[in-house]
Amino acid sequence: MSDIPGGAMANRPVHFIWLLDCSYSMQGEKIGQLNYAIREAIPEMRSVAHDNPAAQLLLRTVTFSTTAQWHHQVPVPVDDFTWQDVQVDGMTNLGEALTLVSRELQSPPMPQRALKPVLALVSDGVPTDDWKAGLKAIDATPWGRKAVRVSIAIGADADRGVLQEFLGNPELQPLDANSPKQLAAAIRWASTAAVKAASQPVAASADPLAKQPYAPPVLDDDDDDDVW
Amino acid sequence: MTLGVRRWDTLGDSVQGVGKRCNQDWWACEGTGSGDEPLVLAVADGHGSAVHARSELGARFAVDRFLGLARSFGRAARDGHEPGRLARLMTYARDDFPRALVQEWRSAALGHWDRHRPVADDGAAEPEPGDKLLLYGTTLIGAVLTPWLFVAWQIGDGDLAVVEHDGQLRRPLAPAEEDLGDETESLCGAQAWRAVRTHWAPLFDEARGPRLVVLSTDGLSKSFAAADGYREFVEGLDGRLAREGAAGVKAVLPEWLRQASQYSGDDTTLVAALRPVRPASATEQKTES
Repeated sequence: MSDIPGGAMANRPVHFIWLLDCSYSMQGEKIGQLNYAIREAIPEMRSVAHDNPAAQLLLRTVTFSTTAQWHHQVPVPVDDFTWQDVQVDGMTNLGEALTLVSRELQSPPMPQRALKPVLALVSDGVPTDDWKAGLKAIDATPWGRKAVRVSIAIGADADRGVLQEFLGNPELQPLDANSPKQLAAAIRWASTAAVKAASQPVAASADPLAKQPYAPPVLDDDDDDDVW
Repeated sequence: MTLGVRRWDTLGDSVQGVGKRCNQDWWACEGTGSGDEPLVLAVADGHGSAVHARSELGARFAVDRFLGLARSFGRAARDGHEPGRLARLMTYARDDFPRALVQEWRSAALGHWDRHRPVADDGAAEPEPGDKLLLYGTTLIGAVLTPWLFVAWQIGDGDLAVVEHDGQLRRPLAPAEEDLGDETESLCGAQAWRAVRTHWAPLFDEARGPRLVVLSTDGLSKSFAAADGYREFVEGLDGRLAREGAAGVKAVLPEWLRQASQYSGDDTTLVAALRPVRPASATEQKTES
């Protein structure tokens, strides 16, 4: 055993936070497919985590409807993570969810020694509260500004403008999920590519429009019968 | 054959990070620390991700170009005691050296790109120079030590630690606030010379100069669980070098770096210069040079 000075060593955490729209418009097939897609994506997230042994992938989930609340409040290592289905409730209070997450992106509780967090926003509608205030709260935190952000627009009624603004980079686009198949692909991509991007070293750029080290995939033309 | 004072013992090593396709760090250490042969130390950390696909070469160019410039700079410092010369050297070190370094690195990288263009893509536009340089992105820490001067430069992450003659540990180039995540300043950045930090330390009494200088890539410091783990590492290294000398540490250094890289996931490199303890009975330790 090596006797290197300096005390204990440890890999660095990647905090991955799902922000899931659980408003009434998600009722039925959409929420069912979302639960299914995330559950199915977990093994792939574990695989990505095992390929990046220097990163400790920790998962959390916020749901937003009439209120925003933690579905998984304590960060759970991906190896211990089991998906519990989310349920629909009421309105689309995205701003409240963003504010809730912003409190967790302050340091503390976020450690200084970490890899970039990942924020993955999934929504099918239009926010019903002051979402800009929530986004501003996230952008006001150092880790929020550094976060790798992905957004998924479910169906034609999703407010792509809001999801685009959440990304904070005009070169990035929300991922459209207009069918169960596309939603599964989008969730799979968000679960894995974003984690890889968070754990890659890159040159910092003063240019806020600089290209990100990841880009959403081009999903196949939908051939599902069910189109949202 | 002449006899000279052995001013520094040096050691260095580098290990490849887990899962990396190659080691994208590079390092070098040359010279004795005399006026004619300044001691020059350098480590560079190629960014390594897909957008920096040639960064292992960028790191090598950075170290190689730094060696050349630092060697010349160190020799120019021989006459530092002449009136006004020290001030001119300081101005050069702070203002001109970073520009020269960035310019030389850019030349090396763009020259390599010209000689090793990707397989032609019919109709593809010639990339902008900035896009070409992105492929070679790297950090750099370099130091030059002469009997009269200790100067160091850094762009991007990584660590320079100095243990002074009285045992005080300093990190003179550490940023006021550490970068979050894995983003770093880089030689491939626009106006990269503005991001170069400089440490300037004339030595008016060589015996009161630093006793240990350590340069390392961030694969080492990011492996420690505690915030002050890296500082404890350098203190421990200093103690171990005092007890066992450079030879004892050289034997375990590869294993230390390997262990660190398993936690940081990064290529991990360290180069250090130790001022040998002179026996009380002798004023100088003689070696053939």
